[in-house]
Amino acid sequence: MSKLKKFKNTQMLIATLPLVALIALFFIFCGVIQTYGYRLDIYLQIVFNEAVVLAVVATGAIFIYTLGTFDISLGASTLFAATLGVTVYNKTESLALMILVLFATGIACSLFNSVLASVFNIPAFVTTVAMMSVLSAIASQIITTDGGALGGISIPSSVVEPYSGIGFKAMLLIIYIAVCFYVFQLTKTGRRMKFIGGNPLCASLTGIKANKYTIIAFTMAGIGVGLGAFLTLTYTPSVTTQTASSIGMNIFIAIVFGGMPISGGPRSKIYAALVGGFSYMLLNDILEIVIDSSAAYGITQVISALFFMAVVYITSMNYRTQALPR
Amino acid sequence: MIMSEPILEMKNISKRFGSVVALDDVSLTVYPGEIRGLIGENGSGKSTISSIAAGMQKANEGQMIFKNKEWNPESMIDALTGGIGMVVQESGTIAGITVAENIFLAELKLFKNKFGLVDKKKLYEEAGKVLQEIGIKNVKASDLMGSLDFQERKLVEIAKVMMKKPDILVIDETSTALSHDGRTLMYGLIKRLKRENKSVIFISHDLEEITTVCDTLTVLRDGKLIRTFEKEEFDDDLIRTSMIGRELQGDYYRTDFEATSQEEVALEGKNINYGDKLKNVNISLHKGEIVGIGGLSTCGMHYLGEALFGALELDGGQVITESGKEIKSCHNAVSQKIGYVSKDRDTKSLCLEASIKDNIAVAGMNIFKNNAGMITEKNEKDYVQKQVNNLSIKCSDMNQLVSQLSGGNKQKVVFGKWIGCDSEILILDCPTRGVDIGVKQAMYQLMIKLKKQGKAILMISEELPELLGMSDRVLIMKDGEITKEFNRSKDLSEADVIGYMI
Repeated sequence: MSKLKKFKNTQMLIATLPLVALIALFFIFCGVIQTYGYRLDIYLQIVFNEAVVLAVVATGAIFIYTLGTFDISLGASTLFAATLGVTVYNKTESLALMILVLFATGIACSLFNSVLASVFNIPAFVTTVAMMSVLSAIASQIITTDGGALGGISIPSSVVEPYSGIGFKAMLLIIYIAVCFYVFQLTKTGRRMKFIGGNPLCASLTGIKANKYTIIAFTMAGIGVGLGAFLTLTYTPSVTTQTASSIGMNIFIAIVFGGMPISGGPRSKIYAALVGGFSYMLLNDILEIVIDSSAAYGITQVISALFFMAVVYITSMNYRTQALPR
Repeated sequence: MIMSEPILEMKNISKRFGSVVALDDVSLTVYPGEIRGLIGENGSGKSTISSIAAGMQKANEGQMIFKNKEWNPESMIDALTGGIGMVVQESGTIAGITVAENIFLAELKLFKNKFGLVDKKKLYEEAGKVLQEIGIKNVKASDLMGSLDFQERKLVEIAKVMMKKPDILVIDETSTALSHDGRTLMYGLIKRLKRENKSVIFISHDLEEITTVCDTLTVLRDGKLIRTFEKEEFDDDLIRTSMIGRELQGDYYRTDFEATSQEEVALEGKNINYGDKLKNVNISLHKGEIVGIGGLSTCGMHYLGEALFGALELDGGQVITESGKEIKSCHNAVSQKIGYVSKDRDTKSLCLEASIKDNIAVAGMNIFKNNAGMITEKNEKDYVQKQVNNLSIKCSDMNQLVSQLSGGNKQKVVFGKWIGCDSEILILDCPTRGVDIGVKQAMYQLMIKLKKQGKAILMISEELPELLGMSDRVLIMKDGEITKEFNRSKDLSEADVIGYMI
């Protein structure tokens, strides 16, 4: 085999590792469930319901990460959108209005961040950390005020019952991923976003308006937040202060598990969040089943962290700089 | 040359980057007090062999002996401490910190006061001495690195290496980043090192410069050592033939000596003002014309290029195209079919971590998108492959990362980006910087072809021969102003021009 072919094969192998890891985790998960004698169909539904929200929000977030920036407030935005959606439904009993509010809130939160980042040139890290606190606080205030002793607010489960099936959620996921794939891979928008992430100065000197694409990226992420909030409500039609609380950090993990560099740029992959989101949830659930006690929660986290670092090391072999100018 | 014990012996060095063989069994010996030149086309392995000696990377095979001991530096700092320092081809400094912090980057602990904080006053004093020691006058130790121009950053890098008093100094294609003053300073340092019986490995594409500066000259081609010339054997034609493996055929610069252009003004700058860098500059560029801008590095010509491309917020004046459209931003400029090649190629003209395909395609998507506005793989590949073929870009395939290309091939990618999208006006800032003689010739011929097609070209250059050899008009700048204009003529010489630059 020629050296060139061997080199390309190695690169391709590394690129497919996240998918291989997902498949391996799936079979391990099935094995663990069988070993413990649990019902596989029930557990697969649990994993799907958890992972679909993460995959959707993280896929939207990829547009932001591709630009070389990030938004840590997406979990809080999901909580805030779900809170407003439930509040509006309870006041109007209109599902359509609730869905509209979910998406409008998600997009508005994201756009607010993007305006601060692109127009006022405030680093996204700063604005999104602030937004995370503000949105969580407002949502908590609404939840504790309206929810009272229940500790949460909810809508009747019958409202979202028709949309809680795996098939419907899978269809939503596929449509959303397809739209994102189209924008990301097949339009000038996605290509330019990757270029901005790779070298913003060069992008500017190539005539690319970074502000425009920052706003588009945050809008796409906002749509993901709205959809994520809807999917959250179809799984559990109630909202507590803990709803979607871990999504902000899990997005990082999902994207890296999916084989995309966290720094964004030309090696960004739109499918990374889908692959990584499901991998992470499978790993998490495997560990929670195998290490079955609350005292072992820390061990679960440590193992997840070690796995995370191993994945980062292996997948980054493809994009670490190996050559110098000759 | 009187031979003593070699100071550095590199034996049978091989280096591979993935499938690319950068060095194939190369042996190199350097003696104390020797100025060793390395020359070869882009991608021949010059930077690779010297960077292995300087600890930037490790060889896959081979052995190094330095000062009679096995030499395997772990890093550039390790190598510099041991006695081999290198000034790299592209930027080797950090933009967000001061000059002093760059110079003493790994040694800030030396300046800690009793509270454990860095004593800035002492740091600046010491850095100031280092700058003074090698004769850098325009740069202050407290200046932010990002506020310096490319030449000044290079000089700081030289100071940083020289401070450690290396036994061997490697200078990798640095002179094209320097103006006349900067080059004079660098040649002075080389002479001083020679007097002190220290050695220099000097990499340059400028044959005249390298044969003047060096005692011996090693030619590399495609990762192999072709021949080493002693001073008395230097012969320009023989060296050129060794470099490219054949005789250089065809024209180099333009062979006509008549200033020609079309009547239409493609781009016009009126009363352009930008701080003290550009003062009331008026310039017009006609279709089918090559206008050369020359001057010292600090004369403002690089700012003029950026101003005409809409990359600067001007204090006054305007830039207007033939259609009357005012250029106020880079976006405006690109939509008016203006392309800009920066002197600072790696930072401003390329996305290094992207592929050749990504870099070329990014400016041409409006051309190869399909009727539905979609970017399809096939259209994109066809578009990029055409540029790769037309410009003879040396690569394994179009998906190869730009960071893995040599300087000349990187520059071809930048050209491909702007030519592919049918730019009508090209602003080229030092287009042949760090480019070998073969690629230079190809680029000059390309410019002639573009001129014939009616494209307007503004070429900013610190190399007078190429300005005189290629331009219909040469405008000389000094202190932010255009001081003189020369029309193309057979009789125009460098001596006629230099007086207006200094």
